[in-house]
Amino acid sequence: MNAPADTAEARELALAGMGASRLRKEDARFIQGKGNYVDDIKLPAMLHMDIVRSPLAHARIRKINKEAALAIPGVHAVLTADDLKPLKLHWMPTLAGDVAAVLADEKVHFQMQEVAIVVADDRYIAADAVEAVEVEYDELPPVIDPYAALAADAPVLREDLAGKTSGAHGAREHPNHIFTWQAGDKEAADAAFARAEVTVSQHMYYPRVHPCPLETCGCVASFDPVRGELTTWMTSQAPHVVRTVVSMLSGIPESKVRIISPDIGGGFGNKVGVYPGYVCAIVASIVLGRPVKWVEDRIENISTTAFARDYHMDGELAASADGRILGLRVKVVADHGAFDACADPSKFPAGLFHICSGSYDIAAAHAEVKGVYTNKAPGGVAYRCSFRVTEAVYLIERMVDVLAQKLGMDKAEIRARNFIRKEQFPYRSPFGFDYDSGDYHTALNKVLDAVDYKALRAEQAAKRADPDSPTLMGIGLVTFTEVVGAGPSKMCDILGVGMFDSCEIRVHPTGSAIARMGTISQGQGHQTTYAQIIATELGIPSEVIQVEEGDTSTAPYGLGTYGSRSTPVAGAAIALAARKIHAKARRIAAHLLEVSEQDLDWEVDRFKVKGDDARYKTMNDIAWAAYHQPPDGMEPGLEAVHYYDPPNFTYPFGIYLCVVDIDRATGETKVRRFYALDDCGTRINPMIIEGQIHGGLTEGFAVAMGQQMPFDAQGNLLGNTLMDYFLPTAVEAPKWETDYTVTPSPHHPIGAKGVAESPHVGSIPTFTSAVVDAFAHLGVTHLDMPHNSFRVWKALREHGVAA
Amino acid sequence: MEVKIDKTYPLEVDPQRAWTLLQDLRQLAGCMPGAEITEQLSANSYKGAVKLKVGPALAQFGGSVEVVECDHQARRVVLRAKGADKGGSSAAMDLNAVIEPVADAPAKASLLGQASVVVNGKFAQFGGRMMVQVSEMMLGQFVQNFQAAAQQLPQAAQAQDVSPAVDVPQAPAAAAPARQAAREINGLALLWALIRGWFASRFARPAR
Repeated sequence: MNAPADTAEARELALAGMGASRLRKEDARFIQGKGNYVDDIKLPAMLHMDIVRSPLAHARIRKINKEAALAIPGVHAVLTADDLKPLKLHWMPTLAGDVAAVLADEKVHFQMQEVAIVVADDRYIAADAVEAVEVEYDELPPVIDPYAALAADAPVLREDLAGKTSGAHGAREHPNHIFTWQAGDKEAADAAFARAEVTVSQHMYYPRVHPCPLETCGCVASFDPVRGELTTWMTSQAPHVVRTVVSMLSGIPESKVRIISPDIGGGFGNKVGVYPGYVCAIVASIVLGRPVKWVEDRIENISTTAFARDYHMDGELAASADGRILGLRVKVVADHGAFDACADPSKFPAGLFHICSGSYDIAAAHAEVKGVYTNKAPGGVAYRCSFRVTEAVYLIERMVDVLAQKLGMDKAEIRARNFIRKEQFPYRSPFGFDYDSGDYHTALNKVLDAVDYKALRAEQAAKRADPDSPTLMGIGLVTFTEVVGAGPSKMCDILGVGMFDSCEIRVHPTGSAIARMGTISQGQGHQTTYAQIIATELGIPSEVIQVEEGDTSTAPYGLGTYGSRSTPVAGAAIALAARKIHAKARRIAAHLLEVSEQDLDWEVDRFKVKGDDARYKTMNDIAWAAYHQPPDGMEPGLEAVHYYDPPNFTYPFGIYLCVVDIDRATGETKVRRFYALDDCGTRINPMIIEGQIHGGLTEGFAVAMGQQMPFDAQGNLLGNTLMDYFLPTAVEAPKWETDYTVTPSPHHPIGAKGVAESPHVGSIPTFTSAVVDAFAHLGVTHLDMPHNSFRVWKALREHGVAA
Repeated sequence: MEVKIDKTYPLEVDPQRAWTLLQDLRQLAGCMPGAEITEQLSANSYKGAVKLKVGPALAQFGGSVEVVECDHQARRVVLRAKGADKGGSSAAMDLNAVIEPVADAPAKASLLGQASVVVNGKFAQFGGRMMVQVSEMMLGQFVQNFQAAAQQLPQAAQAQDVSPAVDVPQAPAAAAPARQAAREINGLALLWALIRGWFASRFARPAR
């Protein structure tokens, strides 16, 4: 009954398991336009919602006149904060322990804030009715600069918090102050500075940017008044958390709330939060008893739903004269906008910013982050990064460059001198992180050899010496370490729910399988890579493994996909669920082969009797038997669930090098070369990793070279369309060269660390490093992003290079 | 966003008549394309409206104008105008306007205008790039209309000088200036003027 035996290698290849560059299973439907996104959901009797938004950044609402809007045929409802008040839904809790207005309650706090909603028969009527809602405002002085927000006479933004001297993260020292959060050892850091031979300091601003996924946020809320059940299709990176929040807010039992994240067109952190639009659509559906769709347009997306960054940072390094870093001090003023709606694990109001000691063995460090309210949209999400890791990596990498410049040392040399050495792992950082594994020196040398670093430096020296050179040449180098895979529930929770993740695998009688996950892909290729993990663990071809995510009624509870946590957390849950099945399969195989379990060897897809190659049972045979003739006393079936609470974060790292040529007359900055070496531990699908890295580098390029959200003094956002907001395409994006080393995570079941965000986190400071390097001989130590031609040209003029 | 304008416009009219017109807010508003004074609220404050049409978008600003200062000696008025549009924009302007004589040319004058215009909401968000050009265009049209209206005033209006300060509205109502201004700002014409101006500045620039 056994099939003729192929070689083990051939069978392994046929599984397309871990390590295979398997084509993405998702792409067949995406490239044919057969995806199913929220806006594709059309239900019978569905109504459409649109939002009346504030034109002003700070104003008191005198009056809202709905009459004209309600008179338009096809308009079903116009709701304001006053209508939500009886339901106590005019304010909602945020992930950061603050509250946020669902609809503006007496005051508007930022431009484009939600003031009222209109529900109508179609999107066009709704849009017309939005124009017809008359809102009268009394303008108030806006607060745009976070430093000015803390001035003694600054206008008070959050009148709802009047008299509250402490918030979710400790004491508040000013009405516009949210929290002051500290990490590290201040005394030790101060002592290091006191005795240091060299110190450097640098102020830098990490601009407010927006993740700007291709698909904007939206939902279709459908409340069934007969059954009392609420189903909502939503662009959410964390559907289970949303279900819990919706149940808490609405009072509907969690068992009657179903959140479905269908195909999602990119998230990058933008789709983690719960936004007023979702809440209003749900309320409207409950009130009207009909499905209600809300999909934001591009301007609404960029203006209101979750920005990222906006950190004003002051860094300081203390070092010995030969470039050994002894101490790090950081002070940050964080502009959180009108409500503290940062998406961070509850205990970390500045996320994992304290990874800012980077890849370096620094004895003493201290960081302080001060969160401030301003009249801007709320947010502060991790834009393709793990909770403020991008800001942290930017800070430390810029500072190491500044120190190298001060000491006249080479960027590569100073990094190699300060790296945590291979034998120091596991390494405890001065901020208390336990780095799992790394081999920075090997990776750095690999990159320097690959690009012929010495030759690049020689070329640069020649160009600097040549007054007629049409370009300035800059070389950027970044050697970053990330902290991802949040996270251990002893440290990380969201609204009190530990940040575990989950997997349920069922192997069917004929040997195919389905896995259901607590995560949700937004383009990461989970359906492809998760199946590969199972294929290797269980010997089932990945082609016959279905992966389902995003429907809270079928998937086990999980915290979702963001912060590069899918592989480190859910990937581990898969492996461990598979291993439970594997253990049961071994018992069944032993029964079928009439030997003891110890007499069996596992080989690719089968258990073999030791020393007798002819006697074996494949996973196919075992699956059939599990449903047909399990051993006496054993439950039938072959399935398992695993909830994985990671013992630690994972710490992927990378070495990035970039060469830019800046036109000295125009400031146009060309990326001549970008070499990215990533180490994400075990590599599940090299092709998907390559794609992730290309995407992350391109988004990093976008942030560094063009993205910004400029506000004027009145709080008008002057750049909320794609005419202004830079989204690079293949036309603008440079050519990327990728490379890798493999340093598995010792604590992760398959040694994988997560990769999708590394290229974003790592590339941004690399671009800055390269641009600044082009100016370094002129004494420039730092230039703030974005490095667009205009800003670079201004710097050229300032330093007498351009006319 | 804030736009600051500081410009001197030559006028083909004597300082006295120009000053007479400058004090008359109703007439003055008539010179601004699309603007009018709809109601007098007090001795020195008025209600007004401005209509601006660009393509299919129509903005109707309603608001107030206050005469903050009217200095006959210096021939200077300081105005503060504020307005909002139901569609979600608001604007505020502080204007300091002075009529100065031109040496050796009694039939000529200069209008010195310093304005700070703060625009909020949709206009600031979507019109930000064009704000300076549009403002300058509008002022250019205003000055043309202003000059034409002033030229129509009777020559001998010396008596005006002794009238009490900030008592302007009724004074030269009979003068009926030529209202060249349309009742609303014509977006297409504005756009054409902008494009023309842009090309002119391009080709006028000497090649380097």
